[in-house]
Amino acid sequence: MWACYLNRHKMVKGSAHMAVKPPRDPQDVGYTWPAVLAVAVHLLVVFFSLVSLPSSTAEPDSSSIVQATLVSTETFTDQAQQTTEQQAALNGSDKPDVAEPALEEPDTREQEALQQQADEAAAREEAQARAEEQARELQEAQAQAEAEAQRREEEAQRLAEQQEAEAQAREQSQREAEAEAQRQREAEAEAQRQREAEAEAQRQREAEAEAQRQREAEAEAQRQREAEAQRQREAEAEAQRQREAEAAAQRQREAEAEAQRQREAEAAAQRQREAEVEAQRQREAEAEAQRQLEAEAEAQRQREAEAARQRQLAGEAQAAANAQQAQQAANSFINIVRRAVEQAWLIPAGASDTMSATIQVRLGPSGEVLLTTIASSSGDSAFDRSAMQAVEHAAPFSELRDLPAELQRNLRQFNLRFTPGDVR
Amino acid sequence: MNDNTMSIPHLIMSASTVVQLVMLLLVVASILSWVVIFQRSIALRRAKQEYNQFEEAFWSGVDLNELYREIPADNARYGAEHMFQAGFREFNRLMPKTRNPDTILEGVQRSMRVAWSREEDRLTQHLVFLATVASASPYIGLFGTVWGIMGSFQSLSMTQQATLATVAPWIAEALIATAMGLFAAIPAVIFYNRLSNDAARLLGKYEDFAEEFHAILHRNLQGRESQSSAS
Repeated sequence: MWACYLNRHKMVKGSAHMAVKPPRDPQDVGYTWPAVLAVAVHLLVVFFSLVSLPSSTAEPDSSSIVQATLVSTETFTDQAQQTTEQQAALNGSDKPDVAEPALEEPDTREQEALQQQADEAAAREEAQARAEEQARELQEAQAQAEAEAQRREEEAQRLAEQQEAEAQAREQSQREAEAEAQRQREAEAEAQRQREAEAEAQRQREAEAEAQRQREAEAEAQRQREAEAQRQREAEAEAQRQREAEAAAQRQREAEAEAQRQREAEAAAQRQREAEVEAQRQREAEAEAQRQLEAEAEAQRQREAEAARQRQLAGEAQAAANAQQAQQAANSFINIVRRAVEQAWLIPAGASDTMSATIQVRLGPSGEVLLTTIASSSGDSAFDRSAMQAVEHAAPFSELRDLPAELQRNLRQFNLRFTPGDVR
Repeated sequence: MNDNTMSIPHLIMSASTVVQLVMLLLVVASILSWVVIFQRSIALRRAKQEYNQFEEAFWSGVDLNELYREIPADNARYGAEHMFQAGFREFNRLMPKTRNPDTILEGVQRSMRVAWSREEDRLTQHLVFLATVASASPYIGLFGTVWGIMGSFQSLSMTQQATLATVAPWIAEALIATAMGLFAAIPAVIFYNRLSNDAARLLGKYEDFAEEFHAILHRNLQGRESQSSAS
């Protein structure tokens, strides 16, 4: 272009005209103004696209159409409460167990029993104080974490704390019960030994003197047979008096005969008494053995129950420790379910934004839907039906199988709330 | 799906490199085509005005020699004025050299055809660029979209479950390229048609003027020939 202009200029010069100024084309428009205008047009377009879009998308953005709420998380906390209640009941039943053997102690060992009880009380108080102190320490330690943690975490923490304290208390009570059982067994063994020693002494005394035997028998048969013993003692005293009177009368033969008769009668009575005492001892020994067996069985049962509770406690502590993780897994699963249901949901034409239906869903172990029930109806049966169909179409939720077992149990039942909301 | 992640600048920024390059190319093409549109519109309007002025002056009954002298020879003229200047100069140069009117008219016609060809070149310059943008930018935009959707499907294959929420941003992002291609192409098509039509009409007017001027010169030569043969 310019070249041809120049050529033409040469031609013009060649034709001997005047000197040449650089040619200016009145039609030749510069490029600065068009460039400015073009950029302005684009900026305008960009500006409108930026300004108009937010206003169009500014409509309330309620995050989801379907809201899911877990039903089973409440049952999780319920379980913990139940365990605490069970534990309280067990603790309550422990106390009578402790008190009863003390009451059954023979009167002769009452002092010992009292001493033991006092010791036990002291030990229990000490243990209680220890447990309380530990619980308090734990509480203090947890306090900071609690302050920082979220509400749910706090709940889990408190639960764990409570369980720990309870575990402590239970352990304590178990120890006490064991100590009690031990003491009881010792006392019983001692009583047995003592009774045997007494029986031995009595036999010796019987060989020596009748009166001693009588007293021994009286002492031995004190509880059940006091009246009889009394009568026997009276009879003995009577005989004594008779013997004395006879001695005073110096009636040798009579006295001898009397003494002989009396001895015979006494010997008979003594034999009878001995037999009775022996029977009594045997009964007592049997009862003692029975009690001991029962006590051992009781202790065994208690130990088993304790072990079971311990295991349960350990599981709960684990669950509480993993509460956060479990919650996350549950949330992700719930999100998956929610999205799947959202996509499967064909909202009926007449549905308004304010409608809302809650569907309770129960899942099988592999994530298939077992049952859908309307927890709260929207009032429109078509709407409810569409929500239930959405759940059925979205099933099965096979992601359930990827979750840990205890979470699966919790997630087997949940609620889904359907609101058309911001469906576009 | 809040407006932050779905706003157009955010989508452009998060697109893949190839798609971003395509978008940049389309933006540049769009800006350049608008520059051409404005420049050509202004230039064609001026050319039309000048032609109208010259035609008015030409048919006002003024003597052609005077009209030729009014045009400054050192100042290159454009449009119909340029054609008139070229034709009349050739006529004046050939007149003293030959008596044959056919030779003179032939030379005048040739020089005017050259001038017309230059005018045509001047008027339709850059319009080819508009035509190129109009036809190519939709394809370029489509390429960006296809590439973006390819990327989206590749990334979709890695996710466990494909929901609408995971697919939507990718597709929106990819579709922006097509939108930009159309945004560049539509004005280019419209203005290419309009401007090329304007230029063609103006060139047609020049041609008409050339024929009329040729007729005037021919009439003049015929009169002179009859005068010289009579004398």
